[in-house]
Amino acid sequence: MSASSTVAERAQAARPAPWLNWLRQDPRRLIAFLVGIVLAVLMVPPLWILILDSVTTQDAIGEITGFTFGHFAKLGAEKNALISLWNSLVFAAGSTVLSLLLGGVLAWLVERTNAPLKVLAYLATIISMGTPYILHVIAWLFLLGKVGPLNDVYRMVTGSTDNLFNVNSMAGMVLIEGFLWSPLVFLLLGATFRAANADMEEAARMSGASVYDTLRRISLPLAMPAILALALFVFIRAIGGFEVPALVGMPARIYVLTTDVYQATIVVPPDLGYAAAFSIVMVLIVVVLLYFYGRLSKSAEKYHSVTGKGYRPRPFDLGRGRWIAGAVIIVNFMIVLVLPLITLLWMALLPFVQAFSMKGLATISLHNFTTVFTQAGYFELAMNSLTVAAGAATAIMLITALAGWIAARGGPGGRILDQLATLSLVFPGICLGVAVMEVYLRVPLPIYGSLWIIAIAYVIRYMPYGMRYVYSGVLQLHKELEEAAGVAGAGSMTTLRRVIVPLLTPALVAGWLFIFLIASKELAIAVLLASPTSKVIAVAIFDQWVNGQGGELAAFGLVWTVLMTVIACIFFAQMRRGGSDVYGN
Amino acid sequence: MLTVRALTKIYANRFDAQAGGVRDVSFDLPTGTFFTLLGPSGCGKTTTLRCIAGLERPDQGRIAVGDRVLWDSDAGIAVPMNQRGIGMVFQSYAIWPHMTVFENIAFPLRVAKDRRYGREEIRRMVDEALSTVGLSGYGERPATRLSGGQQQRVALARAIVYRPQLLLLDEPLSNLDAALREEMRVELRRLQQQIGVTTIYVTHDQAEALAMSDRIAVMDSGRVVQLDEPRAIYFRPANEFVASFIGAANLLTGVSSGAVAAGEVGAIQTGDGESIGCLFPSGGQAGGKVTVAVRPESIVLGPDGGGSTNGSNLLRGTVSAASFLGGSARYDVRVGSRVVRVVASAEHVVPAGTSVGLVFSPQAAVVVGA
Repeated sequence: MSASSTVAERAQAARPAPWLNWLRQDPRRLIAFLVGIVLAVLMVPPLWILILDSVTTQDAIGEITGFTFGHFAKLGAEKNALISLWNSLVFAAGSTVLSLLLGGVLAWLVERTNAPLKVLAYLATIISMGTPYILHVIAWLFLLGKVGPLNDVYRMVTGSTDNLFNVNSMAGMVLIEGFLWSPLVFLLLGATFRAANADMEEAARMSGASVYDTLRRISLPLAMPAILALALFVFIRAIGGFEVPALVGMPARIYVLTTDVYQATIVVPPDLGYAAAFSIVMVLIVVVLLYFYGRLSKSAEKYHSVTGKGYRPRPFDLGRGRWIAGAVIIVNFMIVLVLPLITLLWMALLPFVQAFSMKGLATISLHNFTTVFTQAGYFELAMNSLTVAAGAATAIMLITALAGWIAARGGPGGRILDQLATLSLVFPGICLGVAVMEVYLRVPLPIYGSLWIIAIAYVIRYMPYGMRYVYSGVLQLHKELEEAAGVAGAGSMTTLRRVIVPLLTPALVAGWLFIFLIASKELAIAVLLASPTSKVIAVAIFDQWVNGQGGELAAFGLVWTVLMTVIACIFFAQMRRGGSDVYGN
Repeated sequence: MLTVRALTKIYANRFDAQAGGVRDVSFDLPTGTFFTLLGPSGCGKTTTLRCIAGLERPDQGRIAVGDRVLWDSDAGIAVPMNQRGIGMVFQSYAIWPHMTVFENIAFPLRVAKDRRYGREEIRRMVDEALSTVGLSGYGERPATRLSGGQQQRVALARAIVYRPQLLLLDEPLSNLDAALREEMRVELRRLQQQIGVTTIYVTHDQAEALAMSDRIAVMDSGRVVQLDEPRAIYFRPANEFVASFIGAANLLTGVSSGAVAAGEVGAIQTGDGESIGCLFPSGGQAGGKVTVAVRPESIVLGPDGGGSTNGSNLLRGTVSAASFLGGSARYDVRVGSRVVRVVASAEHVVPAGTSVGLVFSPQAAVVVGA
């Protein structure tokens, strides 16, 4: 070995490998790479497995035995599938229109007029944030059901033995789903109305337009892109809705896509190919809708024009109409909050579910509450739900804090990270449940049937929400804050740790709380993944309702709602604080 | 033709009871006046404007255009804003982004309740408004594709299209860049004179106010502290606030040497022992404490040692800072215990440390507070 070659070898050794050099140039590349792998491992397999299942035949242990389009052919040939598709569309469209009407009118009254009793609208919204949807559904099933007060009163007044309204019908489904979504519509449209430049309306009034003219020619057209985008959003969620179709529709044999997938999965043996083909159809529908949603949101932003100085917008004076507006707010308050709560309380205080009556009043007791507080099963159930929701929220915020930062700042691989993290938007909850079940049945990890699999499904499901919170949080931070840290000598990592994360904390906390709140009431994903030893709250309520244990579930649901309302209050307080804490702008 | 009487609108504030709003504001404007409400932010100028527009409900007072009462708290008259027939340009312009330029401007005609405008009439009036503001041919453009200056012109066209008797402008130039602002200043004034509409203009920019207005009301803490022509506001400030808000006057304090009749020149004795001749716009008594405002550009910087000539005042001092501003030079001159600011021609530079004499006429030293 000659001396010269040794020198060359040494130089070779001293020079870092090219890939290492590549990483050193921008340390964010390393983060992007690692986060990208985590995201890919989480987000891609469920979609892949659904596609695979839908085009293959498999033997009893899941080995692929051949490719086929038979599942789709079966779907197309079966009349029931087309009926379900049609039902899904009617159900989603109907409930979208209803929730937009209820929530939209309320949002306008509360944000842009001098209507009284506005606080009731907020109160109802906050409490409904924390209530599992399934509790609302159960309460409304009772209220509108055969023994409920509506039909009770009708029978009493008319002397008839028929019912005025059959809740187990498409109309009942639309009505209840519409009620479920109206608080969210109120919240999101309220934000739109609040952010609207009041000068636009005042300019119209100064030009001689009446309140009605201003509303019709200015306010409504300006809000239209936002309203349409929201309508599409609610429509997508309603297509994937499970609670109402399962509890209201299934007893009357009214099936929609989600309940069909559910049925195909729980029959023995499960027809997974069929369920997967069904899921793929739903995913495709959602993808198309999401595409239009994205375009609408963009044009909604275009209407966000220059705003003047922060002059407090003058609310419309409704004159004597104020009291009508107040009545609207009270009716909404009753629908969203009071009636369901009273119903649940009634159910919880009685030994068995029965109509409102004086006779029943005599038998009230706290027996169901005592059971809830003394039986270890309920405590365990609550702990399960809290643990899974908190764990999922924490994991999501950790991943998205990095991914969202890189994506929002156009860092290396930012677009890919963004797309990976938001991939699960295409899954209706029940489809994700099927997909995750399939994935982790095949993976040699002993998590099937444990809480872990539910937690992983939640992480996949709610990753896009975490991404959204971080992304918009980073955009609110002036880029110069980061650049100043860089100029001051901090590396990317130090900037992230010392500047970005502390300033981003309000967004991270808000995102965590939001995910925690929605994850802790999720039913559609968990219903397929939970085992008797790993139940979460919504699943337990679902099972109890099916088994007819209405009293205990109502008592437990109420206790749970109180707990979640506290957390929802913290969430809204955090949002309010976060709103005023816009740094560097 | 516009009458505002004892207009009061008080905002309750969490921290102290008497925070924002306006108190007892009154003025009369003849038809065609370009009237400016001038003051720092929070002085109540925008509130006054919004009360006239009908965007705010005053607590007290009376507002009338000609014989038509728009607001009278005692008589219980409150004409809604959309029936006042007032044109207004908003600070953010408030151009509706979902309409074309033409539709934006046509809007007031389309929603008019008192009469119906025909298609041809609307087209003619909008075209006329467009050409008035110099935007002929822009009608079919979407409102989202306009520059800041163009949006401003559209907002103006929309405000004048139905020929209102009163035009309200709420800081319309503050969102434009400096060069465009200068141009629009001249343009706005020209347009206003061409149309002959009575105009109320709100701004915190004293240069804008002085350049454009027939009359200016300077506001401070919700009150009108001086209402006058631009020259009088500048050269005869009514109090210390006006003197220092407009043109950053030097304020000298002293004691009146003798009784002086209103509008006469008298002498005061300063704390440093100088005697200064100054104008007493409203007279003064012997021994009274007074504050005198002297404009920085009214002072001539001369060599030290020269005597005062034909009744001019002379103060001696040392230049402590000199800055070259291009068209002029600014000096801080230490005179006794005070620093006096002087703005002089930039042709001859006087370096810091030079002993100088400051010469100014008694007419340029106005008593602003007694």
